[in-house]
Amino acid sequence: MPAEDMGRVSFRLRYAFAVSSVVFVAVLAISPVKDLHREWKQYKRGYVRFAETRPDTKRLLADVHPGIDQIWLPDMNVVDRCTTCHQAMTQPSLVGASVPQPYRAHPSVPHSVTDWGCVICHRGQGPATEVAEAHETTLAWEQPLLSVKFIQGSCGSCHRGDLPQTPKLNRGRQLLEEFNCAGCHRLEGIERPEMLGPDLTRIGSKTSRAWIYKWLKDPRTITDANGNVVVDGYETEEEPRMPKFNLEEGELRALSAYLSSLSGQPVTSYPFNPRVVAALERSPEAVTQGEVRFRQMFCSTCHSLAVTRAGETKLIGGDIGPELTKVGTKVNRDWLVAWLRDPQAYLPHSKMPRYEWSDEDLFRVTRYITEQLTDSDLLKDVPGLPAVTPEEIQKGRRLFLEKGCASCHRIEGVPSQKDFGPDLSALGAKNVSQLEFSESKIPRTLVAYIQAKITNPSSVNPAARMPQYHLTADDLDAVTIALLAMAGPPASPGMRRLVVQQPAPVFRPAGAFGKVYERYKCYVCHKFNGFGGDLAPDLSYEGSRARRDWLVDFLKSPQTLRPTLVLRMPQFNMTSQEANILADYLSMALQHPSVDLDAEEARSFTPQMAALGKELYEVKYQCQACHTIGYTGGYVGPNLSNAGNWLTPAWTEAWLRNPQALVLGTGEPRRSFTNEEIRALTAYLQTLRQVAKPPAGAASHGAGQ
Amino acid sequence: MSSKLNPLLLVCLLTAMAGCGKQPVAQPDASARAYDVEPDWNDAQRVIPLNFRAAQGKRIFYIQCVWCHADATPAGPSNRSNVTPTPPLMNDGITLNKESDATLRNAIALGGSALGKSAMMPPYGRTLSDEEITDLIAYIRAIAQPPYQPPPATVGK
Repeated sequence: MPAEDMGRVSFRLRYAFAVSSVVFVAVLAISPVKDLHREWKQYKRGYVRFAETRPDTKRLLADVHPGIDQIWLPDMNVVDRCTTCHQAMTQPSLVGASVPQPYRAHPSVPHSVTDWGCVICHRGQGPATEVAEAHETTLAWEQPLLSVKFIQGSCGSCHRGDLPQTPKLNRGRQLLEEFNCAGCHRLEGIERPEMLGPDLTRIGSKTSRAWIYKWLKDPRTITDANGNVVVDGYETEEEPRMPKFNLEEGELRALSAYLSSLSGQPVTSYPFNPRVVAALERSPEAVTQGEVRFRQMFCSTCHSLAVTRAGETKLIGGDIGPELTKVGTKVNRDWLVAWLRDPQAYLPHSKMPRYEWSDEDLFRVTRYITEQLTDSDLLKDVPGLPAVTPEEIQKGRRLFLEKGCASCHRIEGVPSQKDFGPDLSALGAKNVSQLEFSESKIPRTLVAYIQAKITNPSSVNPAARMPQYHLTADDLDAVTIALLAMAGPPASPGMRRLVVQQPAPVFRPAGAFGKVYERYKCYVCHKFNGFGGDLAPDLSYEGSRARRDWLVDFLKSPQTLRPTLVLRMPQFNMTSQEANILADYLSMALQHPSVDLDAEEARSFTPQMAALGKELYEVKYQCQACHTIGYTGGYVGPNLSNAGNWLTPAWTEAWLRNPQALVLGTGEPRRSFTNEEIRALTAYLQTLRQVAKPPAGAASHGAGQ
Repeated sequence: MSSKLNPLLLVCLLTAMAGCGKQPVAQPDASARAYDVEPDWNDAQRVIPLNFRAAQGKRIFYIQCVWCHADATPAGPSNRSNVTPTPPLMNDGITLNKESDATLRNAIALGGSALGKSAMMPPYGRTLSDEEITDLIAYIRAIAQPPYQPPPATVGK
């Protein structure tokens, strides 16, 4: 190349070089500019501008610095940068919906953000610094933010026992238990009970093939024309425990044939006293009398009946036992008599107490149930079922296992099907990619999946064997929360330490008391040292509270202490001997360590003390706001008309000093009585004695009703 | 939490509120289940969302207070008519909105007689914790009808 050309080329090259340098610098500049506009930096600047509009700017900006904020808790695998954008998490002046996100403070809850971070409860991706990555499902992160509606599910992943602050979670766990989900699924913290559905070994002796057919087709009895359960009762379940399996006609026929063929030994009919039969068999009053006894014995504490008033159907009664509105159409009479006399002979694990019956009562109540609690329309849709063939029985037996019936129902000689469904003990931590949605149109989230699976299993899995459950929206959310809480074993050692296990006490005393306790199933409603139901008062310290003689009288004929209760202690008709066995044990074994009966019994109360106590009760403290004496007063607390015969002075004094120390969670507020006032009030209450007991079942006179 | 701006409510200030003529429709059954909402007692169609504090207050309300401060209770009938003078309904904004959080706190903690009101309102200061009373007040403020307006915040100390 000639020399003179080189200068020209060199000029062109230099020109190109200059241009490319400028371009290069410009490209380099994009990076810092882009960096300046990163999402989190914008939110940080936004926060400073926002804080400047608030009256307490100085405090709001005190801790702000330009970098990324992070909560680092190595022990719990927490690296949460959420506070980079959610700057004001702990600023009390920014609490409330009026503050725009992301600058709203966290409402005050029992755990602080700085100790726990965010994702342990809220899920999402903690280290992310972009809105979408932090909150949503991405290719690399499948645990999106959990909606606040379901946040109690996170409480449950550490708190395995029930907390008062998490009512939805508690309700969900209760529902999982009630609906016998543990029959097919392994669930964290929910044990498989001894009996789920009833034992069907002798079902053929109890009911007819037509009824079995109807029940398998739609296991509800209280329905409207559209097949909806039409009840809104108090303390009752809206949904029967047996779910709907969507069986085909042939399956219904085969299963009903198989089950009705299971009759075992025929039920021998009970030999009623012929005099009783002669007197009551034809008498129309016997049915009415049977109904009265049914009510007086408080069968409704465990069983509900549908009652229609003003066009509204309600189930009235408890839900410990099955609803009985149409049970007369279901059971055969001989079976019913045998059942009432000894439920455990038919179902060893039944919660039904074994009542003491007179022939008269048994005959009357049986007539009431078989003649009054019936519905001739119940089986009207059942087609004519021809005689059972051996092929149908064979097919029914096969279907029984194919459908997983043996998960909940036992039949002698049929193998049990524990864990028939998938293990759900870690469902709450599942990634979306692990779930099967098939053709379903629902959002691809764990919550949507759980809810679809419960309400319509075949929508996400056409081959699902799971039955369909009908839950109210609230209950569906509660169950979802309880399932989300089953997140499997905690991932980090720090979390493992935090898990608060649910205690599982058991109280099964031996000896004479143990027998009576089992016979009347006291623990189904009452709690003993942490074991048992919570329908009725906790009896762990009953021996300190109640006088022995009163206990005997009460057990033989329960009176009304709380007139507004719908669910009351049943009348077991127990013998004096049994009542004495129970009272002896309660008085001697179930005592509160700090209530010294001997010390207090020895003290004599003077009439002056009682007079002062009456004045304190009526004027200074006005206890009549909540307690009734005679016919006046409120009904929030128990009726005190017979307090002198009922309560021990030692218990009364300890109670007045600190009720919560004796019964956790009692409604009685703790007051600041002086010792003298406590003695005076106790002296007054000890003077309250009813000489004649009101007849059992008498109408209560709660004031104000 | 230096400034307590929570909503709130409660109890027996028995200023008679005759004349407000409301027919409350508390629904104890349904409402006892949904803890993060409460139906407006005067208009069952309207649902009031509750924050965590108010939801905790609701739980305590339905254990301790509902018996005398509502016309329908989880047990059915109310004890309110047995109490003289009649306690205010818990959503009675006309009576309760003008009381400060501090007054409500005192009424709950110390009882009616300490404020020169009815002794039928027992003190709950030894039964409920300060925090629980704060929760209750949050609940009372949340359900008030007419709605409660917090006083202008005094800020910055």
